[in-house]
Amino acid sequence: MLSKKVCMLGSSSVGKTSLVRRFVESIYNEQYLTTIGIKVDKKIVRAAGQDVTLVLWDIHGDDAFQKVQISYLRGMSGYLLVADGTRRHTLDEALALAARTAETVGKIPAILALNKCDLAAQWEIDADREAKLAAGGWTIFRTSAKTGESVEQAYLKLTELMLKK
Amino acid sequence: MPENSIFASFLADQGYALFECLGQGQFSAVGGYPDWCEKLWGAPKGREKTLRLAEQSPFLENFLVDAEGFWNSKRKGAASSPVWIERDSENRETPLEAWALRLEGKKVLIVRDLSSTYAERQQLYQTARDSLLEHHRLLREIQKKEILLHCIIHDLSQPLNAMRGCFNILATENLPGEQRRMVETGQSESVRQEQMIRGILEAFSADLATQQAPSGEVPDAPDLACCAQRVVEQMSPAYQERGLRLQVDARLDLSRDWKVAGDAPRLERIFGNLLENALRYTPKGGAVTVGVEDKVHCLLAFVDDEGPGLPKDATPDRLFALFAKGKDRPGKAGLGLYFCKITVERWGGSIGAENRPGGGSRFWFKIPRAMKAAKDGGAKQSQPEKPREARAPGPFTIGKATRKLRVLVAEDTDVNRELVTELLHKRGHSVVAVEDGRKAVAALAKQRFDVVLMDEQMPGMDGLEATRAIREMERSSGKHQLIIGVTGNVAAEDNERRIEAGMDGYLTKPFDMQLLFKTIESGSAAVPPPAPAPAPIAQESASTPAAAESVADHLRRASGGNEKLARSLVQSFLADAPKKMADIRRAVAQKDAARLGSAAHAFKGAAAIFGAPAVVAAARNLEAMGKSGTLRDAENEFRTLEAEFARLHAALLALAPQSKSASGKSPHKRKQ
Repeated sequence: MLSKKVCMLGSSSVGKTSLVRRFVESIYNEQYLTTIGIKVDKKIVRAAGQDVTLVLWDIHGDDAFQKVQISYLRGMSGYLLVADGTRRHTLDEALALAARTAETVGKIPAILALNKCDLAAQWEIDADREAKLAAGGWTIFRTSAKTGESVEQAYLKLTELMLKK
Repeated sequence: MPENSIFASFLADQGYALFECLGQGQFSAVGGYPDWCEKLWGAPKGREKTLRLAEQSPFLENFLVDAEGFWNSKRKGAASSPVWIERDSENRETPLEAWALRLEGKKVLIVRDLSSTYAERQQLYQTARDSLLEHHRLLREIQKKEILLHCIIHDLSQPLNAMRGCFNILATENLPGEQRRMVETGQSESVRQEQMIRGILEAFSADLATQQAPSGEVPDAPDLACCAQRVVEQMSPAYQERGLRLQVDARLDLSRDWKVAGDAPRLERIFGNLLENALRYTPKGGAVTVGVEDKVHCLLAFVDDEGPGLPKDATPDRLFALFAKGKDRPGKAGLGLYFCKITVERWGGSIGAENRPGGGSRFWFKIPRAMKAAKDGGAKQSQPEKPREARAPGPFTIGKATRKLRVLVAEDTDVNRELVTELLHKRGHSVVAVEDGRKAVAALAKQRFDVVLMDEQMPGMDGLEATRAIREMERSSGKHQLIIGVTGNVAAEDNERRIEAGMDGYLTKPFDMQLLFKTIESGSAAVPPPAPAPAPIAQESASTPAAAESVADHLRRASGGNEKLARSLVQSFLADAPKKMADIRRAVAQKDAARLGSAAHAFKGAAAIFGAPAVVAAARNLEAMGKSGTLRDAENEFRTLEAEFARLHAALLALAPQSKSASGKSPHKRKQ
């Protein structure tokens, strides 16, 4: 079976682990538990008429305490760039991380997940910014690990993009 | 490598597993194969008892590439992995860490089970990241409050602008002596109120510390001794009233040069704050002495009192801290001494307090001399500095402009628009007034104007957008329209936005009419110095009822007693307010933050004309929520607004006969 390594990238506390858990186990835990290393999960999905094993690398948040090492990304077929829609600066940080990634691994399929979309009243990313990012080539999903909104779709879209590559 | 060495046993006991790389992806366990390894990766296979670790663990598959690179290099030490989590067949998680190193020429991989220490390590990161989240949350809270404060300042500026405009217009009338005196009092008091607002702003301004300090080379550097003397004169009545003496140090030679790097208004405020402090603590019959001494490179100013002295626990940090208040006879808000400290330090000086040997305390500050004054030696002008014009306005006369200008006024608040229009007419200019940016752009497309006065916050197209549109139109024509912004937003970043939009300058509300005339008639964009960022002003109680009488009083004051104007304002508000409320309701329901911000701003500006503090407060909160994009409490706040608006609406309906009867004439005899 075809296997694809997918990395979860983004700042700390944006919901990377929660997205993986929602996708793999259909579980959401309200309590925030920080990830301090790397956790690898697998899930088989069906895309473009075939089964694909996604090997999901849930990598700790990139922040002042821990930096994502480019060596973790070796063999990566695509990545889910995650930002917290209720904290605007996490989007800036995610995009900076994506730029660092592109410098090393080149242009590979990626999805931008603006997570925590269930918190609409606290949303800090305006539609203009989103539109500009979309125009700049990003495929964007407003996701919620809490409600499950667009989580499956984001991973499936990424799988399709990886298969097209 | 000895398989049963003490060393290997020790490592196994500590949760370490050692593997030797045999090549071809094969590993053999050294010194035993721990149970946790077996649970994760199964038992070694074959006669050689080997494992293919890369096949067992995607993480190790990745790390072994780095390990191989290390083993094949001449590097010393070890290649280490980050922490990673492996799951066993029962889905139990085990945190691990790995190192690749060379021992006795062999390729060795060490993997450690971190179960015993992982929780502690995670707790450490958790605490750090929780703190970081909290830090960001607090920053956002501060930003939200800053936005709210901007709104408050804007609100405070609007009615003051109207009041000053009314006073200025009244001052041009041929009033009898007593009424003229009252108008002049109104003028000077409104100026004073503006300065008080600005004073509070400065004390709170987060930008204050970063604002450019005075160079000390300005030709009109203030004279420290003159400032001290002026403040002593101003405050002497208050001291006399309390049975205290306030005096300038008898040794002070006023003919000498005491010029310092600073500015006179703030210096006077520093003296004023220190003297207010001394006034509170000096017992009846005591004296407070203000003096200035030469300390070669700087000047020392002091305020000596005959009070009980400083509290035992008083340190400079506590005395001059924000919100610091004395235990006995405390001041108002704990801002005065804090303002002194940040201002003096911004000028490169220092401030302190100490007990005097003979009793009482001395509050002092040192400020560097003004450079030019130092070069000049000692002589100085014999005339004391004149206070700034804005601080003590004389009788206001509008006069006639030497050249008639065509002025476009874009202002959404009716009362301000009417006032500016009337003032400019009286000055002899022709005026076209519109209520939003789009109409301003349209007017400019049809007609030429010498200058545009552009309110910054307007519904629909605001002043900044309109300016951008006008600049865009000019790209083909090559012409340049003079555009002066009119705003209540005074922070530095607001000015950057104006410059970016293409405004030539701006006037802050409430603006000085003379400055308005000077700005538009000189054809230059006289930009007032950047004012400090907004500061917390106590909000009105949201529960204050908008009683008909108080609304009527407010309206009378705001309209300068112009009944026609007052009636017109009530009618237009009653007609327009339901639409504005519907806008806000829609924005809240659709969680449209941008729309909520502008709709609430528009409504607030209209309601503020009638006082209506509870309505204004609720609208302001909604505006702030919209601007900060935080709509969590918007529905609750809107319900408050609805309730308060209902009261105001009833009050305004009740007001109509009162406003009409105020002049003693029946409404049907009055011309509309």
